[in-house]
Amino acid sequence: MNQVSTAIIGRVVATERRPNTPHQFHFWTALDAPVGIGTIVRVETTRPVSGVLPRIFGVVTEGFGYTDLQTPLHDVLGADGEPGASALAPTERTEIRLYTAAVLRQVPEEPLQPVPMGTVHLATEADVQVALRMDTYATGETHRGIPVGLYRAGGTEAAIHLDADFLLGPEAAHLSISGVSGLATKTSAVEWLLASIFAHLPASKGKVAAVCFNVKGPDLCFLDQPASALSDEDRAIYQRLGVPATPFANVRYFAPWSAKGGQLATLRSNDALQHNVQPLTWGLKETLQYAEVLLNRDDIDAKADALIDFIKERVVDQTFSDPMLERSHLVRSFSDLEQWFRELLRGLEGRNADVWRTHHVATIRKVRNRLSNISTRCKGLVTDDGSVSDLPFKQFEDRAVYVVDVANLEEDAQDLVFARVVSQLREHLEKRQLGVDQIVVFVDELNKYAPADGPDTYVRKMLLDIAERGRYLGLVLFGAQQFRSQVHRRVVGNSGTSLYGRMDPDELATAGYQTLAPATKARLATLEKGQLMVRHPHFGQPIFVRFPRPAVLSGREGVERFPQAEELTLEQSVAKALRRLDPAITVGWVQDQLALAGEDDDGVLRARNRTLQARPDDVKAFFKAQLKKRATPEVAARRGPAPLRVPPPDDVYG
Amino acid sequence: MDVKALRVAMAGDRHIQPIAAPDAGAANIRLALRALRDSGLEAGARGASLEVQPQSDRPPRLERATPFEGSRIGVRAVPGAPVVGFRAFLDGIQRSQVIAYAGGIPLVHGAVAAAIRERTDRRLHTWGTPQIAQALFAPHALLDATLLASLGARLTVVDTLASTGASARDFDAPSAAAHHPQELVARALTAVQRARESAELALVAEWVARGEGPLLVDGGTSGSAGAATSAHIVGVIKSHRTLYADEAALPLVLGLREGERTTAMTVSSPRRHPVMSWYLRLREPSSRSPLFGLVRVETARADDVTERADLVSRWLLAERTPVALPDQRWDVMVYGIRECEQYLTAILR
Repeated sequence: MNQVSTAIIGRVVATERRPNTPHQFHFWTALDAPVGIGTIVRVETTRPVSGVLPRIFGVVTEGFGYTDLQTPLHDVLGADGEPGASALAPTERTEIRLYTAAVLRQVPEEPLQPVPMGTVHLATEADVQVALRMDTYATGETHRGIPVGLYRAGGTEAAIHLDADFLLGPEAAHLSISGVSGLATKTSAVEWLLASIFAHLPASKGKVAAVCFNVKGPDLCFLDQPASALSDEDRAIYQRLGVPATPFANVRYFAPWSAKGGQLATLRSNDALQHNVQPLTWGLKETLQYAEVLLNRDDIDAKADALIDFIKERVVDQTFSDPMLERSHLVRSFSDLEQWFRELLRGLEGRNADVWRTHHVATIRKVRNRLSNISTRCKGLVTDDGSVSDLPFKQFEDRAVYVVDVANLEEDAQDLVFARVVSQLREHLEKRQLGVDQIVVFVDELNKYAPADGPDTYVRKMLLDIAERGRYLGLVLFGAQQFRSQVHRRVVGNSGTSLYGRMDPDELATAGYQTLAPATKARLATLEKGQLMVRHPHFGQPIFVRFPRPAVLSGREGVERFPQAEELTLEQSVAKALRRLDPAITVGWVQDQLALAGEDDDGVLRARNRTLQARPDDVKAFFKAQLKKRATPEVAARRGPAPLRVPPPDDVYG
Repeated sequence: MDVKALRVAMAGDRHIQPIAAPDAGAANIRLALRALRDSGLEAGARGASLEVQPQSDRPPRLERATPFEGSRIGVRAVPGAPVVGFRAFLDGIQRSQVIAYAGGIPLVHGAVAAAIRERTDRRLHTWGTPQIAQALFAPHALLDATLLASLGARLTVVDTLASTGASARDFDAPSAAAHHPQELVARALTAVQRARESAELALVAEWVARGEGPLLVDGGTSGSAGAATSAHIVGVIKSHRTLYADEAALPLVLGLREGERTTAMTVSSPRRHPVMSWYLRLREPSSRSPLFGLVRVETARADDVTERADLVSRWLLAERTPVALPDQRWDVMVYGIRECEQYLTAILR
């Protein structure tokens, strides 16, 4: 810990036109004083209040420099219009450095008075702890501080901790990180903060895991691989903050199949990295529950909604019989559903009926069209045959990261993945059955999922619900976005902690940043990589910190070191997938089996998926059995033809 | 009364000691007002500062000077480029204000300060200890003894009627005319001026004793033997109510072009120490007043008079930048003096 600073670096000043207040004060320094925007200072005064000498802590938010010139014209006159002449003047003009600081904390806190005249000192590490109230939660036996970075200014270096109760709940929760694209600051900061949480969350807070949605590129595809080269400075920060400079030890990847179905649609396709990559596929039941995500308002009017509800409640996953149908149906997949629709419509046509169970035939056709379309729009994620490969809900592991790679999915499918995964997390947390007590959900491009404007989508409603009530469940949202102003204000407003990387000047001109001083905005617009501005409930004002480069392989370096696997033939991709279960399986063996079975591509992929889902002891035998099993709907006992429709006696059109 | 004229009138090394050190309970105006109220007087600021009130000045005049460089006054272009020579700058300020009347007798609060600002790496810093003094100025003989004792117990009360050895007109024993309130105010102002000059001279003496390099003083140097004989002291006079030129030389003085100087002359009087002096045009007047940019330089007499006058002139020409704007006297004021004045204004609370 640094020595207590006694050097006076400035003096508080106040004038009638520029008075000090309980929240703001002004001070001047020597021209070479190590003070800048974001520097934390301590004010000492010699006049006690109620017998106590007050100490005031502030952070510099604005700086001014000027000379005794009344107008620039005087300097022009003095230099005869020659800019170089001023440099030759024997005397430099009197110049001032005047700073404005926002009060972080006054000790004692009562009575809250305007900042008195006094001397200004650079804050020591101990001062920083007091100024940011970290002394109440980042020290002692009840330590619950999560390091977010290092404060550095004027030779002072201090660890900045967030309060776990205010980052992960229950007091407050959620984190919002904003910044321009291209600097990797947002993703890096979240990776760093997750590592810090995993290292520092006290045992009393229970188990924690993270679910990260990889929505673009390879950003999150190599979290289990070490960084190519961490600088000595980065390693020093890791050591200083007590976070191991190692990649995440427990990471599992989930990705849907590519549209062709041959391999997983992820940039983490290199053979060397397949041990922890699993398919993400859902069937009809999993999908239909969130059909609203995929169907827009035009699709779902009240009538269609009623039919979908009927199908969900009365048709799916149970034997369904109806006079209109030729036979009983057990609908478990989109294929089954299509058969069901086809037979129902045939029945209606055969009976020349317009209405079935209060649903008009036009509505039935419309719903059929929209639902059947889902497996096409979400090909690779939603399977026709109903095979499911999902996140291990109920078995989440402590300090594990679950990456859901949806970068190669269409927008609708991304929404579906997001909605279902988060909803499942919520449901399992409510029942305390997730396997961990707290789950951090990292969503990039939050302005897309919870926009400030636009329609009130299912995903946005769900995010609002998490933002407002998730902290009670342990469901914590880490949202990243380029433009905070474009995210719904209830989402960002409920983020207890906000991080800001380099910001776009236009974004800084929006209303949400009006409370920041112009100099603070200017610094935000020019922040370097590895620097953040932090807002946290305990901090009276935003604080600038430096954080290390994540100890994981960056996406850009990862795709170079682990190139994508080449496009495989059907046999190769099946062999590769099955080899995870049985290393003895060869491409030749798969070729033989396919030749013998004579299946089409869909049938082969269906067999592969079922094998992967079942994870049988005898992989070869199970796969062979699946190949032989035709992918036909499971048919219930055939029934006799349905009776002709009998119109009601009072039906004048009957 | 012209402050500068009074300073010129002050002869000899009569140093008035600082009335009080700034950290020794100096009688700032607030304390003085309290002392007056404690003494039963109704006190308060009475009008504007005496320094800005119109004074009854002597009329402008020409005075003959004895040529010291050559046989008659001539004009000479300063040779060579301007060169930085001054190490430090000295200036003094004063403030005075009537704060009470005791039976028609004005009681004046006066404050003076002087400082040397030394130049290091093109930046100015205070050299030594600034002189600051504040006191009440009043005619002791005209005040009630009880009141005087009461005031004297609380603060320094300078007697404005005390003999100072200055001109008879100003410093004679009190006469009937001297009881006129305006005359009493004028005497108080004179006493304050004298206190300021005393503070300045004290610093000049200190610089002569232990300063290093040339010191530029705002005003003349002939008031003190030490200043008048030290090669390190250069005085610059900016106002010209007295022009040292006869009718023949006057056109030469007024016709100086930028960078030209008159030849040196000797300026002396019975109450002043002889110094050599010359006029120097700092800035081209063009169509302005012929006094624009005109300064009179005073320094100790030297054997190599031409070389010395040329060198000091080059030093002064180098000080034309930075311009002392927004000071109204920017054409004749060097920036170091203005900066010193600002410093004094800041410390004389």
